[in-house]
Amino acid sequence: MDLTSEQIERYSRQIVLKEIGGIGQKKLLDSKITIIGCGGLGSPVAYYLTAAGIGSIKIVDFDVVELSNLHRQILHFNNDINKKKTQSAYEKLHKLNPDVNIEVVNEVLLPNNIKEILKDSDFVIDGSDNIPTKMLINDASVNLNIPFTIAGVVRFNGQIITVNPQEKTACYRCVFGDITEHEPSMSCSQAGIIGLIPGIVGSIQANEAIKCILKIGDLITNRMLFLDLLKYRFSFIKVARNENCIACGDNAINVIETHDYNIGDACFE
Amino acid sequence: MNDNNVTIFEKIHKLDIRGKVCPMTFVYAKLALEKMNPGEILLLTLDFPAAVKNVPDNCKRQNIGELMDIKEVDKEKKVWILKIKKI
Repeated sequence: MDLTSEQIERYSRQIVLKEIGGIGQKKLLDSKITIIGCGGLGSPVAYYLTAAGIGSIKIVDFDVVELSNLHRQILHFNNDINKKKTQSAYEKLHKLNPDVNIEVVNEVLLPNNIKEILKDSDFVIDGSDNIPTKMLINDASVNLNIPFTIAGVVRFNGQIITVNPQEKTACYRCVFGDITEHEPSMSCSQAGIIGLIPGIVGSIQANEAIKCILKIGDLITNRMLFLDLLKYRFSFIKVARNENCIACGDNAINVIETHDYNIGDACFE
Repeated sequence: MNDNNVTIFEKIHKLDIRGKVCPMTFVYAKLALEKMNPGEILLLTLDFPAAVKNVPDNCKRQNIGELMDIKEVDKEKKVWILKIKKI
């Protein structure tokens, strides 16, 4: 299918790019991305991917909008308070670009539904707010052989890693092991967070998705990016695949079936 | 504008983008060149003066087309035909 004249105009600044062109734009329009969470991270991710013309975007969230979300979760407005986040997100994203097929899933992501939710995706983005969910996204995406990016934000800090199971790059579990067994770390509500840090980190996640689909540039694989916006320190730390990793290692097990993620115990604030 | 504006005649493709201004002039030229095979010719008719330089410059920078000739076909109305070879 050729681009319509409206699409040519809408995506013209991307088509101009040497790395994208009409061919790349069609790839984006043919792609499917799943975003877990439409809060602080998911908001900029969803905005930019919708604007960029990703063909199908699936948004997964079970939460409702609260007043204390609004300083960082830029998909949601004052009159969305108490509304389902997925509904609020759909309304904004559809208005931004009706060319994109937005699908919403109002469910808690759990070991028994995650594979069904992720299975058709070309790329998965973690915008969740707790480590058990991040680990679950990691394990399921590795199992399904789908590239993905996981990020975390708190205070003025952010961190990002992208994993491409098709190239056997280090996964989140390779880096952190079984951190779900430890005490939950402090969440946004207790530690605090500057509203724009998920904006910056989420924008980088959206960039990872676009680059991975187009196979351009370098991804944040086999390394992690750390951002400190107080000191303006942006640093990469090398990480390596663990051959004994239970999710992606040489003798990986079906960890989703057997592992206890304690999703319900995690802090959802 | 769509494919109807591109006609194929013995490996020569024609595209009329009169009325388009930068950067859409380059966008349409690029989309046409992407569909062509190396060595084929694009005859691009345009009337936006800056595009006479910008379109060939961008084609060269992105290594997708090489300017072969510029013909000013209508001095009064300022219409040019650029002959661009797909790289």
